[in-house]
Amino acid sequence: MLKSRTLILLISIGVIGLATPFSIASDQPQSVDVIAELIDQADDGATVTVPEGIYQGNLIVSKPITLLANGQVIIDALGSGTVIELRTEGITLRGFTVRGSGSTVDHEPAGVRAFDGPVIIEDNRFEDVYFGIDLRQSPETIIRNNFIIGKELELGRRGDGIRLWWSHGCVIQDNTAIDLRDMVFWYSEDLIIERNKVSQSRYGLHFMYSHNTVMSENELTDNSVGIYLMYSNNITLKHNRVVNNRGSSGYGIGLKDCDDIIIQDNALLANRVGVYIDNSPSSVDAVGLITRNRLSFNEIGLLATPITHDNVITENAFIENEEQVTVHGGGQLTLNSFEKDGRGNFWSDYAGFDLENDGIGDLPHAPRSLFRNLLAREPNLRIFVHSPAQQAIELTARAFPDLSPQPMFTDPHPLSSVPALQLMSSSDSTNPWPMAALSGGLLLASLSVGWFIIYTPGRSQTQRLHHLRSVDA
Amino acid sequence: MTTISNDQYCGLDHRSNFSPGHTSKGYCTLLFARREFLDALSSRWFLLYTIAFSMLSISVSYMSLAGSGSQGFAGFGRTTAGLLNLIMLVVPLMALIAGAGSIAGERERGTLLYLLAQPITRTELLFGKYIGLAVAMCCSMGFGFGLSASVLAWKAGGVGLGSFSMLILLTCMLSLAMLSVGMLLSVLSRRSGVATGLGLFCWLVLVFLSDLGLMAGTVIFKLRVQEVFAIAIFNPLQAFKMGVIVNMNASLDVLGPVGTYATRTFGDALSWLLALTIVAWIILPLLFAMLVFRKRGGV
Repeated sequence: MLKSRTLILLISIGVIGLATPFSIASDQPQSVDVIAELIDQADDGATVTVPEGIYQGNLIVSKPITLLANGQVIIDALGSGTVIELRTEGITLRGFTVRGSGSTVDHEPAGVRAFDGPVIIEDNRFEDVYFGIDLRQSPETIIRNNFIIGKELELGRRGDGIRLWWSHGCVIQDNTAIDLRDMVFWYSEDLIIERNKVSQSRYGLHFMYSHNTVMSENELTDNSVGIYLMYSNNITLKHNRVVNNRGSSGYGIGLKDCDDIIIQDNALLANRVGVYIDNSPSSVDAVGLITRNRLSFNEIGLLATPITHDNVITENAFIENEEQVTVHGGGQLTLNSFEKDGRGNFWSDYAGFDLENDGIGDLPHAPRSLFRNLLAREPNLRIFVHSPAQQAIELTARAFPDLSPQPMFTDPHPLSSVPALQLMSSSDSTNPWPMAALSGGLLLASLSVGWFIIYTPGRSQTQRLHHLRSVDA
Repeated sequence: MTTISNDQYCGLDHRSNFSPGHTSKGYCTLLFARREFLDALSSRWFLLYTIAFSMLSISVSYMSLAGSGSQGFAGFGRTTAGLLNLIMLVVPLMALIAGAGSIAGERERGTLLYLLAQPITRTELLFGKYIGLAVAMCCSMGFGFGLSASVLAWKAGGVGLGSFSMLILLTCMLSLAMLSVGMLLSVLSRRSGVATGLGLFCWLVLVFLSDLGLMAGTVIFKLRVQEVFAIAIFNPLQAFKMGVIVNMNASLDVLGPVGTYATRTFGDALSWLLALTIVAWIILPLLFAMLVFRKRGGV
């Protein structure tokens, strides 16, 4: 395929060189007017197949038609304005490569901007775009299986990968966004958001005033924040994998003034903060449920503001977080429940025991840490974490109970083993052989250095020195 | 190397007693290094150290992966911090004690004068001893790390290969730095008991007292982030810890505002800065020890 295209290219270059005025090669860029003309000629609801090639300029579609790319169709706005505008409902855009939008903030140029819905945007590739896909009041739109990679700009200057504005009932599935700002949902309700992957962006999934949505099986890696819900109620997060989101104020999942949130069966690994709760729930009769998640290797497993209340945190596995649970600025989480129906959470630092063997630890889990309390008061001290001096302080606090602070929370029924969790597993597996080689190499090197030194031919001289020494002794 | 003047040697020139062709300065140094290595191998502290370090690092690696195996994921968690803590406690202790015993012990036994009566310079002797102990310590740690790498390969595959290799490298550098300090103490003290005591005190200062003091200072004087960083980095143990974390996380954000400040200010140069600090701790005490030893000699 590639070969034949190269061949065509070479031939066409030759042909152009010989007889420029007489031939138009297929790889020669054309104007998007060619596509606009094809659309003009088609009836409403018809399918327009765009032939392979590069089309330059900004395309506006204001007729309900299906646009299909036949092979690789590249639409390039050459760095100015929005590449494709969908001005009416009922448009389908499938299989295009969209690139080269403008990059100025004032007009927010995008790869595709839709002004009405429903439309379908499927199987497209977006490169070098400021915003990726921007829906403005385009309800019930389907955005599926698009690949979006943004411009090389610093984090705060980038545009959003996918943005919804007043677009209810949309389906966002199987999209991948890299190097963008957010995948953000404004005032949009009843969405389905599944199997998207966002990495190296600012916020993976960002909700603003958007209610009633289920988000599942999304993968959010290496962003500043994985999922941030703000002022959005009744949202369920299930089976998401949130890994290594560690902006300097980054969270795996952040909740800001959100009511009735369910966070269930998610893997939250190696984030700066696993789950951050800022005044959620905020209404009187609302609750929050955090259950059956794995929170591992985060700097802080669960971070909450002091006024946080009415959350139920149960059957989660808190494993090896540097700080398992802490309160922003100090305080206690007594208004939240760390158990439900007699089942608490698994804590990798639980020091109790389970004599009855019923899976529930016999002693409540109420960790006290003087150093943590110092940290909450004086953040600069964090430079001393992971050092023996930190252990010394903890030891002192244990030796002199007067110094020991109040526990930040109490889990009355901690689980004695990791609960069976249904998590989305990692897609990539690693090759153990380099590590095995390192192991073998180290062992071999250390032993052979020893062997070599012991049995080198310089022995007689050393014996001589030994002899001299022993004579003296 | 044949034109070395007599006054550089400690005592008479017996060089002709050694087999010809093997009389270069480097050769003598290596000879002493070898002797020191063999002494270390035959001593109990070395065996004990190797066994303890291996057992501890294996168990820490095993424990750190027990909870993460199902996710195929190894991150910087409490147990990795545990390994770091272990290294920061054990490695400086062993290196300081081994270094402190080296010259002072010979001096106390009277063998130092005898060694110096051999046709070698004081620099060669000190350097030889240093190299011998350094190789012994690195071999012992290499063995321990090799065993824990096999645990990692078995339980977690190749996860974290780069940062683990970096941990090994930095640990070796830390042990060299602490050995340097130990040698300096050893050169300064007349009796091996004093040297060991000084080594222990130095360990206490580096591991606990300086950090605790700086903590108190941070709280009482409300030190700014750049001040805390500037003071903290002087401690080779802190430099080591930061170096390990930078290599694992690509930033020091883990260490709060101070770490963020360091990452923002120095960027990619940060790991070099930290490595340079440790290298300075290797070179400077050894250089100082050399100067003192050349002046003082066997007495």
